[in-house]
Amino acid sequence: MVVPLNTWVLISNFKLAYNMLRRPDGTFNRHLAEFLDRKVPANVFPANGVISFDLVIDRQTTLLARIYRPAPSTASDSPRPSLHADLRSPPSPDPFPVIIFFHGGSFAHSSFNSAIYDSLCRRFVLLCGAVVISVNYRRSPEYRYPCAYDDGWTALKWASTEPWLHSGKDAKLRVFLSGDSSGGNIAHHVAVRAAELGIEVSGNILLNPMFGGNRRTESEKRLDGKYFVTVQDRDWYWKAFLPEGADRDHPACNPFGPNGMKLEELPFTKTLVTVAGLDLSQDWQLAYAEGLKEAGHDVKLVYRDQATIGFYFLPNTEHFYEVMEEIKNFVSSNCW
Amino acid sequence: MGPYPLGSSTAASGWAAADSGPQCSASEIDGLLAGAGYRVRSSDLLHVAHSLERLESAMGGAPAGYLASAEAVHYNPSDLAAWVHSILSELSPSLPPLRPPLAAPVAETWPDPTCFSSPYQQNQMAVVVATRQREEEEGSAIRLVHLLVSCADAVQRGDSGLAGNIIAEMRVVLTRVNAGFGIGKVAGYFVDALCRRIYSPCSSSSCSASVAGSAADQEILYHHFYEISPYLKFAHFMANQAILEAFDGYDRVHVIDFNLMHGLQWPALIQALALRAGGPPFLRLTGIGQPSPDGRDALREVGLRLAELALSVRVRFAFRGVAASRIDDVRPWMLQVVPGEAVAVNSVLQLHRLLGDPGDDAAAPIDSVLGWVVGIRPKIVTVVEQEADHNRPAFLDRFAEALFYYSTMFDSLEARRGAAQQQQQAVAEVYLQREICNIVSCEGTARVERHEPLVRWRARLGGAGLRAVHLGSNAFKQASMLLTLFSGEGYCVEEVDGCLTLGWHSRPLISASAWRADDDVAPLPDSQLFDPSIDATINVDASQQRQQ
Repeated sequence: MVVPLNTWVLISNFKLAYNMLRRPDGTFNRHLAEFLDRKVPANVFPANGVISFDLVIDRQTTLLARIYRPAPSTASDSPRPSLHADLRSPPSPDPFPVIIFFHGGSFAHSSFNSAIYDSLCRRFVLLCGAVVISVNYRRSPEYRYPCAYDDGWTALKWASTEPWLHSGKDAKLRVFLSGDSSGGNIAHHVAVRAAELGIEVSGNILLNPMFGGNRRTESEKRLDGKYFVTVQDRDWYWKAFLPEGADRDHPACNPFGPNGMKLEELPFTKTLVTVAGLDLSQDWQLAYAEGLKEAGHDVKLVYRDQATIGFYFLPNTEHFYEVMEEIKNFVSSNCW
Repeated sequence: MGPYPLGSSTAASGWAAADSGPQCSASEIDGLLAGAGYRVRSSDLLHVAHSLERLESAMGGAPAGYLASAEAVHYNPSDLAAWVHSILSELSPSLPPLRPPLAAPVAETWPDPTCFSSPYQQNQMAVVVATRQREEEEGSAIRLVHLLVSCADAVQRGDSGLAGNIIAEMRVVLTRVNAGFGIGKVAGYFVDALCRRIYSPCSSSSCSASVAGSAADQEILYHHFYEISPYLKFAHFMANQAILEAFDGYDRVHVIDFNLMHGLQWPALIQALALRAGGPPFLRLTGIGQPSPDGRDALREVGLRLAELALSVRVRFAFRGVAASRIDDVRPWMLQVVPGEAVAVNSVLQLHRLLGDPGDDAAAPIDSVLGWVVGIRPKIVTVVEQEADHNRPAFLDRFAEALFYYSTMFDSLEARRGAAQQQQQAVAEVYLQREICNIVSCEGTARVERHEPLVRWRARLGGAGLRAVHLGSNAFKQASMLLTLFSGEGYCVEEVDGCLTLGWHSRPLISASAWRADDDVAPLPDSQLFDPSIDATINVDASQQRQQ
């Protein structure tokens, strides 16, 4: 098995912790979850050229987001925060990408300030010269479908009203929707809404997006329990997220399934999807990519044969670096 | 788009130990896991991996395993090896002991802000910017922040002329914003404080006292702040939990409170002790507080009220007041520690007052105080401090930190606006305003609000011979539940390396931690602790002691 030891320890630790948090009756031990989650505060002191700060982007739902951006340049090279420059000023006079990021966690775990996601978002800033907006969407089982999607939509709408996020001579919001696991699922559904309502999205970046369906696919049977994930836990998370009484062919879970929506007519954005070869959900992810293609939409599939879930958390494999290159190229070729 | 920081690419086959990542982490700790919030020695990775596998099989008998681990109290998830081991020993008690626990990394110097992604060493200045109100107000608010920072910069450079001009401009901008709440209000306080700094600076304790107002006033302000927000309640609750646990099994216990005020913390502890299995201990409370100027014995009055409560719940109780203007005037013998009693030292927002300017070689009062605290061999030392960096050497840095800290703090107070509480809130805000004033307009011994972040306190307390007593998931859960009693859904409790913080919208604002004396620290000789000739109920005026 080609998994670095520290990655193995990290993901196994998550698996162990998560097993303790899911109760058989469908409830979730939220207090213990928050206790165990490793969080980091925002930081307006530049760290490797990136600063972050938190914003309440919707008072009604108390929706928080963490904004990551290149440190505003100052005359002096001092490491202290440049408060003379407005935190909310464009990082560049040229067109720059805005990446709205939805963290993973199967709709129930993690937060916008989880350490693993803070690291990833910082990396995106440096990789793409982007402003990254990490959204603290409402999680299940306390908040079911469609709350997470609504929060994603709120974030997109918010970004579209922020002048400093619009760049280039045409003062356009060059926005990418992105996420891993459940975050990828959210990104897809927000992109659908955007396409329906005519908000232009430059691209979707989905890392091992979370999809499913009623039938058991070959990869689910073959890889059940083999690499940190079980079909049983997937079922639990869908049950916790989907409306009561719904099954996994609900369109939120299975967008190209029997209850799925037709995307042919919509100006749906371009998509970059990564799939890990050791992820039991891969058949659903591959079907998703296929579904986009069949609907006539642009999709680039990056299949990493020997990668497990969470390969993008630690920069210690070729999977990590090569996928980051793919993301960088995807963003730069769709942001001009 | 420049190159991003690359660790060396390892196409690991099998379980090769990964490279350790950023140079700035301690060399024996896996740097990549540190970035994810976990401290594991590289040499322990294999062992932890095996433990995780064993845990997997132990929990494989699903319901029993799940229940045991869910009901257990968890401590310090960052110390992964210890955490896994503790769960394993819940499920299979006959485990060999672990290696000594990993101490939290200590920041010996000011943390290097260029160190990438290590949550423990990064210099944090978290900002939560309140959401916009109206377009033009937003613009004015941003303008105010710029002006404030420019003014502070001018002050730091000694350009009082420019600073004065900027202040005048800020007063104009303040007329254009709603100065009743939000950034307008906070900015107003900071403008006032800057004004005071420029035109009537304060660097000795005597003038600081006039800024602060009388001790009685301060108690009232504190009481209002206590009522209107969860911060002090959280502090008291966490400290009492730790004290209760530390007192378990002891028949004679002694709490030393570094700042008695109205004794708000103690009714809950007295009641909890009353309900203790096996009956309550004999509780002594030594309350340190400001001397009363007008002949009133304020400390004794509080003591009497607490004694009445203790009597009503049948807890044997004795109170002693120690009147001192400064904690470093207190000497151990004034506390009358009795051999055989379990001692708890409780400091809520007091230790920072004993700090000096960082980098100043002269020994600060904190060192001597921590020295005797450790010397009395307390079973527990509870420390609550503001989670802020308000003692930075450069004025502009302190100013900027304080601006963001108090903006967040005020934002949290405003979120629970009820008509009945508005007056209480106004008084509570004066409490905070005085802190702002002290941080911005005072220097030298007058500046007492020298808040430092938890990471610095760890270093200090560790260096003085104290070891952390981790606050666990049980305390965390109770604190979270306490918060649900408060409307304004923005408060958050976080666990950081065995300590708990309470914050607003992801910005920690106050931290609670517990400590005990290291086993190899020499106790104070009994002659310094207990003088049998002194009557236990007399207040000792420490300032008089100093003059002798």
